Amino acid sequence: MADDMQDFAAEARAFLDAHAPKAPDRTAPVWGEGDDSMAYFSSLPPEAERQHVQRARDWQRVRHENGFGWITGPTEYGGRGLTPVHDLVYDAVESEYDVADTGVLSVIGLGMIGPTILAHAQPPIKERWLPAMYRGDAVACQLFSEPGAGSDLASVATKAVREGDSWVLNGQKVWTSVAQHSQIGLALTRTNPDAPKHRGITAFLVPMDVPGVEVRPLRQMTGGADFNEVFLTDVRIPDDHRLGEVDGGWTVALTTLMNERATVGSEGAGPVAAALSPDHLSALMRATWTWDDRALRARLAELLTDALATEYLNSRALRGLRAGGTPGPERSVSKLMYGQNLTRAAHFVSDVLGPRIIADTGQWGTYAWSELLLATPALRILGGTEEIMKNILAERVLGLPKEVRS
Amino acid sequence: MTADDTGLRELRASVREFLEAKSPEEAVRKLMESEPRFDPAVWAQAADQLRLPGLVIPEEYGGDGFGLVELGVVLEEMGRALLCAPFFATVVLAAQALLASGDREACARHLPGIAAGGTTAALAVTEDSGSWDPALISARAVPDGDGGWKLTGRKSFVIDGTTADLVLVVARTVAGPSLFAVEREASGLAAEPMETLDATRAMARLTFDAVPATLVGSDGAGGRTMAKVLDVASVALAAEQSGGARRCLEMSTEHALTRHQFGRPIGAFQAVKHKCADMLVQVELAEAASLEAARLADEGSAEFPVAAAVAHACCSRAYMFAAMENIQVHGGIGFTWEHPAHLYFRRAKSSQLLFGGPAVYNERLLDRLGI
Repeated sequence: MADDMQDFAAEARAFLDAHAPKAPDRTAPVWGEGDDSMAYFSSLPPEAERQHVQRARDWQRVRHENGFGWITGPTEYGGRGLTPVHDLVYDAVESEYDVADTGVLSVIGLGMIGPTILAHAQPPIKERWLPAMYRGDAVACQLFSEPGAGSDLASVATKAVREGDSWVLNGQKVWTSVAQHSQIGLALTRTNPDAPKHRGITAFLVPMDVPGVEVRPLRQMTGGADFNEVFLTDVRIPDDHRLGEVDGGWTVALTTLMNERATVGSEGAGPVAAALSPDHLSALMRATWTWDDRALRARLAELLTDALATEYLNSRALRGLRAGGTPGPERSVSKLMYGQNLTRAAHFVSDVLGPRIIADTGQWGTYAWSELLLATPALRILGGTEEIMKNILAERVLGLPKEVRS
Repeated sequence: MTADDTGLRELRASVREFLEAKSPEEAVRKLMESEPRFDPAVWAQAADQLRLPGLVIPEEYGGDGFGLVELGVVLEEMGRALLCAPFFATVVLAAQALLASGDREACARHLPGIAAGGTTAALAVTEDSGSWDPALISARAVPDGDGGWKLTGRKSFVIDGTTADLVLVVARTVAGPSLFAVEREASGLAAEPMETLDATRAMARLTFDAVPATLVGSDGAGGRTMAKVLDVASVALAAEQSGGARRCLEMSTEHALTRHQFGRPIGAFQAVKHKCADMLVQVELAEAASLEAARLADEGSAEFPVAAAVAHACCSRAYMFAAMENIQVHGGIGFTWEHPAHLYFRRAKSSQLLFGGPAVYNERLLDRLGI
């Protein structure tokens, strides 16, 4: 690591030492002790959920006040003006500390929408919202998906019609994470139904408290409601809330999607780490008296081979970035493997547990795994289905022909 | 010594250029049906022009002292080209066994010849079970009364065993498995070629009838030596496997782009496209696992044994998968003798099982993770 990077890491460490305790090691559990939650998605009751969001905002504010809130952002909007490598270095240092989970802010808002606003929004919007987002005051959501358009995002049907200096939006969005906590949403709308579908889209920043915006939680198969439906009924938005050109929204969407691929699949802590931790899985096999089952052992070895190889792939990619290289196909491969590794881990553990995962015996660390099991189908869908990710790899990396698309 | 990224790129480019000229498919096909199964002139050029035999041999023994990262680059290229050469047996297995034994005298006697390309060597560990488990070794060595040893028994799956000038043999003494050096011309040594699934890698059965042998390292230390060699050799093999897997992916991609069916390149069909994407995923993982293990070895990291086990398992599976899917993407063309796909299939399967196969390497990984 270069000298300035070492100085930066030391500065980050000094900040974290002063503001957060060291993280406990979740990967080496003492069987029967501590929290056995394996929830990938939130299943908190509303009041606990609100507190969770508040803790995220509080920690983001502390980060921001100490110069670590937006490491790569321009200084005029409260950023630090440093490189993505500094960001990675900070993340690595912070992972050693027990800090609030800021995913509610960072995964979508700071990771994808912030960079999009920076690239495409008009000056008053940048000044109004960027500092607020990175200070933890504003949560942002992505109003992209619609009931009729899954991965075919260019098929959005939500309409925006110009009326003087304003636009009037009507339509329905779905699968909107964190909309229930959001102050702003980035919406894709159809402004020209006659143009080819990619060329008739316009992007707007929608303040979520304006009249006509209604957020309804969408209950998913885990039982929780992490996603929402958002109904837009005669929502009036001033023209300065438009991002990019009229009918030029696809370019705006691509900025967000590029940043999405850089964000999804990089989670490393919590139930994910436990599900793929050799120590944790070994402890589970001992606790269930299955540790010498040859068939299960072979499956465990295959699972760990993939989990560790994925880790090696990530560290190779990280080393490449630190050395100033450009990102390769590793992100897409890593995202695919992440979903598959966790899925296989959840099914492996289920088979180790047997009936103890179909009904709760009250034993620590057994039925709790059902939370992860029920979340795994989503991991093969969110952020682009496995099929879409494979198309991307085949077309953009291997250069195979595109699917026939209208 | 460690090469930087530019150095590694240059090494790769020069090895690839050499192999494209000296080991095209026609050459491989000709050699796999000849005896010996390598071209001594090409081997001499690899030594003189590229100094390949000495790449990872320490400078004090006449080599260039590079590490497993550099070795990996060379083996990826050899794996792509299916090079028929005594490199794996001599440089990876035998030379590493000499180094792992810690016997400086034996190293000084044999390694300079290996580094210069004049000496080829083999490592005879496995017997009819093909296992690397020291407990399963039955070949025996007894002192001959003059400070030497006499070796008796049989070894199988000995790579390049009929041609190697020097054979390193693991045999049991009263103290346990021990490593011995046997010269090609020693009396009582017989070598017969085995018929092999992968004809590009020659294997032999060796029989020892009271063959004069020299102890290498300490008496009874053979088990430890074997374990060290196995780690290095499986990482080296992993690089060779990931190179072969990458080549299979390239062949498939090229075919999917050029072969038209129903009026479109077959690569436009999602079923074929996803097959290629699945191969790419496996190849990316394999390359990362093999490189990471090599890097940890060169850094002397305590994580190396785990990474070595992961690389072996991951690359074995990736290569087998890529070799199978490559034939599938090619359809009937891929099942012909004339098409090279089967050569990769054969190499992939035989490499996967060379050190015992999934049942063995899965348990080795769990063992190293303390499970």
